[in-house]
Amino acid sequence: MTTAIAGPAGTTRERAHANRTAPRLKQSRAPYLFIAPFYVLYVLFMLVPVLVSLWLSLTEWVGLGTPHWVGLRNYRLLATDVSFHRALGNTGVFVMIAVFVVVPLALLIAQALNTRGLRVRDLWRTAYFVPIVVSPIIVALIFGLIFDRQFGLLNSVLRALFGTGGVDWLGDPGLAKVSIGLVMLWRWTGYLTVFFLAGLQAVPKELYEAAALDGAGRIRTFTTVTLPALKPVTAFVVVTSFIGAAQIFEEPYLLTGGGPSESTLSVTMFIYRAAFQRQQFGYAAAAAVVLFVLVFGLSQLFNRLLGIGRATS
Amino acid sequence: MSATTSATSIRASVRSSAGARTRRGLLYLTLVLLLLAFLAPLVWALSGSFKPRGDIFAYPPKLVPDPFTLHNYRALIEDQPFARWFVMSTVVAVVATVVSVFVCALAGYGFAKFRFAGKRLLFGVMFSSLSIPFAVILVPLFVILVKTGLGSPWFALIVPWVAPAFGIFMMQQYIVQSVPDSVLEAARIDGASEFGIFRRIVLPLLRPSLGALAVWTFLQSYNSFLWPLVLVSDSSQYTLPLGLQTLFVSEQRQYDLVMAGAVLAVLPAVALFVLLRKQLLEGLSTGAVKG
Repeated sequence: MTTAIAGPAGTTRERAHANRTAPRLKQSRAPYLFIAPFYVLYVLFMLVPVLVSLWLSLTEWVGLGTPHWVGLRNYRLLATDVSFHRALGNTGVFVMIAVFVVVPLALLIAQALNTRGLRVRDLWRTAYFVPIVVSPIIVALIFGLIFDRQFGLLNSVLRALFGTGGVDWLGDPGLAKVSIGLVMLWRWTGYLTVFFLAGLQAVPKELYEAAALDGAGRIRTFTTVTLPALKPVTAFVVVTSFIGAAQIFEEPYLLTGGGPSESTLSVTMFIYRAAFQRQQFGYAAAAAVVLFVLVFGLSQLFNRLLGIGRATS
Repeated sequence: MSATTSATSIRASVRSSAGARTRRGLLYLTLVLLLLAFLAPLVWALSGSFKPRGDIFAYPPKLVPDPFTLHNYRALIEDQPFARWFVMSTVVAVVATVVSVFVCALAGYGFAKFRFAGKRLLFGVMFSSLSIPFAVILVPLFVILVKTGLGSPWFALIVPWVAPAFGIFMMQQYIVQSVPDSVLEAARIDGASEFGIFRRIVLPLLRPSLGALAVWTFLQSYNSFLWPLVLVSDSSQYTLPLGLQTLFVSEQRQYDLVMAGAVLAVLPAVALFVLLRKQLLEGLSTGAVKG
């Protein structure tokens, strides 16, 4: 299976394909029948819930009885809710970690794995990928034990190496964020490496040879050949990481419960807490709408800027 | 100009062959250290699952359990409804996977090989649903399913996985690349029905990428936590992640059982991944690299 880079060439090729089969099927219902099952499910379980969310966000509802129309009150309350601001800020930090720490590290590792003549490349790639296969809840369970203040593996190692342990990884507001960042790093890096490596291997060899002939050094080759060729992959990886990190839940839920003092509370956790622990369904829906506007809006913007999803016309 | 520089670079590369060897050594060292970092937590859990409770946090930590015990596994399976959690998770994931793969292959084929009015818009709608966070539909989906009486876990746990845009995109990319129009055209001339062509010609050609998508969907469903957490209140219908969580948040954190449970829960996922890893890793990047 090969990989292809988006571009005018790919698009024209597809259009040519479509043209060849198209005339015969002009009036055919076939394509609509093929995509119909998806759209039925999409409408029922995606579109309708999003619309219901919009409506619920304008009501006050404890989950029983009839929702009570309150207009924009939930949004006004959110605007002054310190917890919600913290949740937005923390989620922003997690997104930054994903995009500016995890993504570059994945690119570096992919670059290392792309070294010519590297042995057992497939083994490295597979081993680094394993964390994403593990359920996030199990990841959180294992890291909960690793970060344990008294007995955790991390503190044991620190004690063995430097004679000091007892770091309160999950109990200190700043360190708790770092700990969650470490878990994200562990979980996502290998996964993203797979995409970068595929992208690197699709770069035509001639480009590197040409760069070598021009006497370009390592860094110049990287900035003039590798990075431009990787643009579509990078765009995909950045947007995926953004969307993934923007809805982080399991790690703070299980490792810190959002604490200490809401320093790791994420927006998804805020929504979960409002709806299912405090029975504020309308308020939770309003927070969900804000998350939707932010994530959907920003990723459409990124897609526009970076040119994702234009492959098919 | 370019002749002189290339001569210089050749001379430089000859001179640095010792340096290249050191660099290569450093590269392998880094890769091994990274490998250790990626696998250490899992190895630690594996080793801990065979230790008596008191030894899990013994200092300094021991890699090889001594004494070695199967007690944690026995306690997990005999005293906890582990088997039930496992069946619940697996059945839900298998059904979700079968439905989802079929829906994705159909739609992916529709988008890859036909031209029709509204295609661009419909594709855009599908693609943009990738950027709707699950938390946005969490509350309404819960309300809808419970109010309509469809909240039975057997049905509701499957729902979020049946129509993933990611899967359609992956299928569409693969079909464009690997299903030749000439074959479809020939079948049409022979009078095959459109669905017949899909079932007898397209589906078999898709086998490698169907495998990749199946593993991916299975893992998504099998590993999901937030949706079951919200939906399932009856502990007899807990999925694996929910069940394991109860061991962790119970008053006495049952670390020993958690470790054994983590190992048993991860095994099927890792086994599936190792079996089909080539297809999965390549299938994933096919959809993505194209962007």
